[in-house]
Amino acid sequence: MRRAIAAIVARDLKRMLRQRGRLVSSMVRPLIWLFVIGTGFQGMLEGLGRGGYQRFLVPGLLSMVVLFGSLLASLSMIYDKESGVMRMLIIAPLPRAVVLLARTLGATLIGICQALLLMLILFALGYLGVPRDPALCALGLAAQALVCASLGTLIAVFSKALEDFAVIMNFVIFPVFFLSGALYPIEHLPDVLKAVALANPFSYGVDLLKHALGPEALFDPDFSVGKDLLAMLTFVVLALAVACRRFSQAPVFESLTRAFTAPKRH
Amino acid sequence: MSTPAAILTEGLAKSYGAVVALAGLDLAIEAGQFFALLGRNGSGKTTTLQLLSTLLRPSAGRAWVAGNDILSAPLAVRRHIGMVFQEPALDRNLTAMENLRFAGALSGHNARTVRERASALLQLFGLTDARDTPVGALSGGMRRALDIARGISHRPRILLLDEPTIGLDVQNRRAIWQHLGRLRSEEGTTLLLTTHHLEEAAGCDRVAFMSRGRLIGQGSPNELVGALGEYVLEVETESPAETASHLRPRFGEPLVEGERLLFRVAGGAVSLDHLTHELRAHARAIRLRRPDLNDVYLWIHRDPPDDHPEGGVGPEGAAGAS
Repeated sequence: MRRAIAAIVARDLKRMLRQRGRLVSSMVRPLIWLFVIGTGFQGMLEGLGRGGYQRFLVPGLLSMVVLFGSLLASLSMIYDKESGVMRMLIIAPLPRAVVLLARTLGATLIGICQALLLMLILFALGYLGVPRDPALCALGLAAQALVCASLGTLIAVFSKALEDFAVIMNFVIFPVFFLSGALYPIEHLPDVLKAVALANPFSYGVDLLKHALGPEALFDPDFSVGKDLLAMLTFVVLALAVACRRFSQAPVFESLTRAFTAPKRH
Repeated sequence: MSTPAAILTEGLAKSYGAVVALAGLDLAIEAGQFFALLGRNGSGKTTTLQLLSTLLRPSAGRAWVAGNDILSAPLAVRRHIGMVFQEPALDRNLTAMENLRFAGALSGHNARTVRERASALLQLFGLTDARDTPVGALSGGMRRALDIARGISHRPRILLLDEPTIGLDVQNRRAIWQHLGRLRSEEGTTLLLTTHHLEEAAGCDRVAFMSRGRLIGQGSPNELVGALGEYVLEVETESPAETASHLRPRFGEPLVEGERLLFRVAGGAVSLDHLTHELRAHARAIRLRRPDLNDVYLWIHRDPPDDHPEGGVGPEGAAGAS
């Protein structure tokens, strides 16, 4: 079983490295935010007498890379109906839950790798210094990636209609990102949006990275490190427990089986 | 329960709401046998393979694969089987070798065993030159061969194949059958496959015909073809109804296939010269030939038996001639 899990994870990472174009575009996305949105807001805030917005964005941008990298990687397991790999996985002598958890682990590592790459770029560009707390930074990235991968896995096992990328963008990625404290502090949000942000596990990852990355942030973190970790851990455990349970249930698995194995002409 | 049979099913059934995909299948396949399930689309062949490979749960009945209950020991079942789906179970982005190694690792074998086995399989299937080619760049025939190699990368005792030659040209179909023959002779693998190409199934030890989720007949190809009759008289005519009523008293009820009438006859019963002369106004062609599995298929679908005795093919009157 250990070998099987290692093989699944290694395959995910190998694929990420081979798809260079995708890797490059996943780096370009946060840089566009940094230079376009960041510059615009920075200018506006400077006019109001406050600066440093681009640096404030850094934890959010690292989280953004993790969100796209990990969430899409774990989602892809279901919405790629052409996937021959899924056929290989469902016929392997592995419990269903192990397949699910191994893919989640692979997706987590993809998010971490992409975030580390972006950190190097931001460091080279002068937008990121040495983290105040490197260990906490590593923990934060790992936890944020695991949250995003688990969220993708959870959506994947429940999704029938979510095969459209645009739907996932509009109803998952955008709300999760915008209502997380990545772009503005949660405390200034109106009550309803604030409640959503507090229920959003991604918010706590952004917050944890604010703790870890340093003193230069424009705004203070919203929560304590302990609260961040507890919220993320709770979400991951719940999400994966529900996902594994659902994935192992006959009807869900059977519809997957039929989708993956049924001949096209039927 | 343990059983000497490689595959055993008892009243195995699967339905989706009101739709019955499989309606009580009783099947026994001995170890080392080359067994083909034949039938039209929707007859339950694919469902049978998916139940046996634990990808579906039966609605009723039981089944054992290599002695393991498909319901209570699905992991043990999957450990003993290889499965080749209609669509390849391969990663297009990985090379042929990487795919085999990935499949081997999924079964929990160590890296060295997996590597050696993968090399041997590439050789067995004539894919050594394609070793480092990404699957996306392989031809359809090579991909299918690789997919079968993938299916046996963990040395399963039983290999299930769903239409292994579908979508392939004649040459590649022949190559796949050669691979399967070699697999059986060199590794003693039990093979259970479904196919539409009846002429291909003639080389199997045993075939079973399925229709509407039921078994409607089984036996060795020779037995089944022999039981059909000594010869098949084939008359191609523009007026099938008229010709049929003309010939019925002598040769019995024909099987009508469009403008073709097929009669099961004994060798001495027909004088072709006489018949050609007699039917000159109606018949475009008259042939007397040995029956084959296609004929068995046609007759068995026309006259499905109420119950399914071993080797029972159809109505009485069939002269044994094998």
